[in-house]
Amino acid sequence: MITDEVRRVLLTAIDLYPQASEVLRRQLIRLDEPLRVAIAGKVKAGKSTLLNALVGEEIAPTDAGECTKVVTWYRDGPTPRIVQFPQGKSLPVVRRDGALEIALDGPADRLVVDWPSQSLRSTTLIDTPGIASLTTANSLRTTHFLSPEDSPSEADAVIYLMRHLHSTDANFLESFRDQGVARATAINTVAVISRADEIGGGRVDAMISARGIAARYRSDASLRGLCQNVVAVAGLLAFSGRSLRQNDFTALSALAALSREELDSLLLSADRFADGSVERRGLLTRFGVFGIRLAVTLIRQGVNEPSALASELVARSGLLELQKVLHTQFSERRHLLKARSALLALDGVLRSVGDSRLTGAVERILAGTHEFAELRLLSALRSGAVKVPDAELASRLLGDEGAHPLARLGLPRGAGPQEVGQAAFAALQRWQRHAENPMLTRRSADACRVLVRTCEGLLPRR
Amino acid sequence: MSPVATTPQQAVELALAAIKRYERPDLEQRLHQAKARLADDQVRLLVVGEFKQGKSMLVNGLVGAPVCPVSDDVATAVPTVVRHAEAPVVTVVRAEGRTEVPLEDLPKFASEEGNPGNRERVQHVEVGLPRPLLADGLVLVDTPGVGGLSSVHGAATMAALPSADAVLLVSDCSQEYTAPEIEFLKQAMAVCPNVACVLTKTDLYPEWRSIAERDRQHLVDAGIKAEVFTVSSTLRWHALQTGDQEVNTESGYPPLVTYLRKKVVAQADLLARRSTLHDVLTVIKQIVDSLRAEQTAQENPESVQQLIRELTEAEQRAAGLKERSARWQQTLSDGVADLNADVDYDLRDRMREIVREAEDALLAGDPQKIWDQFSVWAQQAVTSAVSANSVWATQRARWLAKKVAEHFDSDREQMLPALRVGTSDPMRSVPELSVRESDKFGIGSRLLTGLRGGYGGLLMFGLIGSVIGLTLINPISVGAALLLGGKGIVDERKRLTTKRQNDCKVALRKYVDDVSFHAGKDSRDMLRGLQRDLRDHFTTLAEQLKRSLQESIQAAQKSVKASQGDRDARLAEIKTELAALERVVKEVRA
Repeated sequence: MITDEVRRVLLTAIDLYPQASEVLRRQLIRLDEPLRVAIAGKVKAGKSTLLNALVGEEIAPTDAGECTKVVTWYRDGPTPRIVQFPQGKSLPVVRRDGALEIALDGPADRLVVDWPSQSLRSTTLIDTPGIASLTTANSLRTTHFLSPEDSPSEADAVIYLMRHLHSTDANFLESFRDQGVARATAINTVAVISRADEIGGGRVDAMISARGIAARYRSDASLRGLCQNVVAVAGLLAFSGRSLRQNDFTALSALAALSREELDSLLLSADRFADGSVERRGLLTRFGVFGIRLAVTLIRQGVNEPSALASELVARSGLLELQKVLHTQFSERRHLLKARSALLALDGVLRSVGDSRLTGAVERILAGTHEFAELRLLSALRSGAVKVPDAELASRLLGDEGAHPLARLGLPRGAGPQEVGQAAFAALQRWQRHAENPMLTRRSADACRVLVRTCEGLLPRR
Repeated sequence: MSPVATTPQQAVELALAAIKRYERPDLEQRLHQAKARLADDQVRLLVVGEFKQGKSMLVNGLVGAPVCPVSDDVATAVPTVVRHAEAPVVTVVRAEGRTEVPLEDLPKFASEEGNPGNRERVQHVEVGLPRPLLADGLVLVDTPGVGGLSSVHGAATMAALPSADAVLLVSDCSQEYTAPEIEFLKQAMAVCPNVACVLTKTDLYPEWRSIAERDRQHLVDAGIKAEVFTVSSTLRWHALQTGDQEVNTESGYPPLVTYLRKKVVAQADLLARRSTLHDVLTVIKQIVDSLRAEQTAQENPESVQQLIRELTEAEQRAAGLKERSARWQQTLSDGVADLNADVDYDLRDRMREIVREAEDALLAGDPQKIWDQFSVWAQQAVTSAVSANSVWATQRARWLAKKVAEHFDSDREQMLPALRVGTSDPMRSVPELSVRESDKFGIGSRLLTGLRGGYGGLLMFGLIGSVIGLTLINPISVGAALLLGGKGIVDERKRLTTKRQNDCKVALRKYVDDVSFHAGKDSRDMLRGLQRDLRDHFTTLAEQLKRSLQESIQAAQKSVKASQGDRDARLAEIKTELAALERVVKEVRA
């Protein structure tokens, strides 16, 4: 198992370089911890809202203005606890209307929130301040956190939020490509078109437009090399869907009972809708114009159960799609991603002490582990550095759509070992044929050999 | 007298009619110029902002017609110019010329969907619409937001700023101002008289009031004095379709339209009115002055000699104004020389800074890997340096023109001629702004670099090739060399990297040189044009002054020889003429 190999190398390194034992020991502990996923993006991209949607609870404070000012870690814990660093001071846990309120005590460089939650069990989520903020210090904090110049990144994977692809976004994504050894950062980045519900002025078909835009970005050559996938998500809607309450449902049903003209006139603008009514204002804050329009339409179409409405809203928000992508791209590969982070850190240590005794061992893991070869190839294919015939099949085979053998071979769920064997064998033959094709360049042929090896691994053992 | 105030056009016509009998083609010429200036008097309003902020919707809402393509994805591909016309008309402007196209074809050229990446090579699209808002000469320019404010496009927008009369920065209410937006506003404030901020999509964001409040605070913090308007184009559109006045009020458009009418257009109008009025009054005054001189001479024949002496002195002074030694001429030539040197130095300094920074970046690693990002960065840095330089040059030029005018006539407020600014775009003459293309650094040239890098490889494979029966230069051995060049042999790698670094440095320097050359030429042209314009303007003024004085002298001399009867008749004539001119002045001033 790759984790064990990495652990062994780390242990040896701790013995060899006592001066760096602190850093290395931390990496060792990190190997057994949940995967660390950072949520990054420009100011007001909806990072905290998405985090809340992923967790299903309002634990990241959100506001109309720029809100997140400190890098905040949210991890699973037995009891709620907030600790402010560098002081290491515990802050009081205050909840108002279900929302967690955090009042900083003096200057802080990071916050750690322990929160008992199923969603945080396998991944630690990290909320970051927005880049391109008017408060430069906040921006710098994020950039430094995600792509520090002197030490490896603290995060294993990144969800990058953008409203539309800006040059700042592209720069930022690029800044964490190309870091030392493993060099496959497109692999651990997923881009999200956030606040997708606001596209097209919050019309009921906004999400369809947003998905179209996501598809365009997905096929955009410049973005392909920078991130693994692009998904459109309406964070606010997802969160409200996950935390839908009975009184929300009642209020929405009441709205749905209004005549069409009356409702259209109400929903013409946020101001009209919220005019003088505290309840409606609350509804607007929680659902947004699009959310209300969608919910009312759904209720009119006959969704008459709070739970049914909730699941429909979540489904329409694109959250499920994102969760699936996160699962295939991050969770299924978490050992690999964590190992990669650890090796990056070790590589940094080796460079700084200028010792080459362990370089060989690190190289051996990197070169000898087929998973890394797959990752590297996948990244090269995406960025267009290497070209192979049937590139789409190749990407899928390398686990672009999920690491499970069925996903790799493009078989329907529930396919038996017989079918898997046949498909794997067919793929094996295909790539062997390509590998022997004399017209291919050497790099392409090498790539085909990696694919052959992947197919061999997929063949059922006799 | 007409109770209605005379328009500047009418004033010019009145003056023209009044001075016709004095046969002064020079003064008539001046009035004709003023008329021509009035005729093409446009108020250019630039609508700028990051993309997807609702710029096109804003323009559509202002004119009440779907002239700019709107889409959920990035929509506007090329600038759309909306101006007044008797009937709706769409004109596509390319470098080669203008073509009229049917109205429904507009999206084919203006939208990103119909014209992706501007493959039609359109410079801009002009839409003519019969709208009262546009009738006063207001021209709306919807700029594409592609790439954002800090991109090459953004710099081009920046360079267009000095030629704009007003700028609307559009930003939606989903978030407060970002750093690039504030930066843009700061620069815009420096060169443009009217800058206003428009916050759009108030219908979608319940928190828009607090966002607007924060934005106002950001403006105050940055020391920017600009009005902020909050609008909802959706509501405006709804109101236009249903005619619902209440919704129209809610949309926030009425104050914006009033601002455009009362502040932007009216201010430009006021300026036009003042300068025309000034022209008309000076022209009439010159004629009145010579009539008065004649009158004095006719009334007191004994003091004629004294008068002639005074007039001759004045004429000599006026002639002196044309001399090179005149103070304003000095100021002008010194000023232009200084400005030339300063602008040139500024450009060089900016470029040197870029080259220095770029070379540091290139030396830090293998340029092959960073070339793509690097070339984009270089283009961007160079473009913004050039636009900043030209904006600065324009500012200084305006200041110089003012100084010269002050010198020319310190006790009378002189109107400036239309300055030659913003008419040309220095970046246009540089081949496509691209290191890669200008230096063949595209696909072909990456090949070329690869070939150079793989030179040793080429020889080696050539040798192997010849051994197995192939000649030195053939596609296969070139391909093989490329392979080696890409891979690099460990010993060779360092040398190749150094070579690539040098190649890139040369390419960069060449590009910067190219741009500096064109931009330098452009700013020198601009200054030379400015110098010529100012010189001609003031020389003509001096000429007119001199001619008027000459006429007065002649009239005075004639009066010496006249008989008493003639004298009385002439005096009566002069009186009626003066009264007529006075009437014109009164009317014009109304």
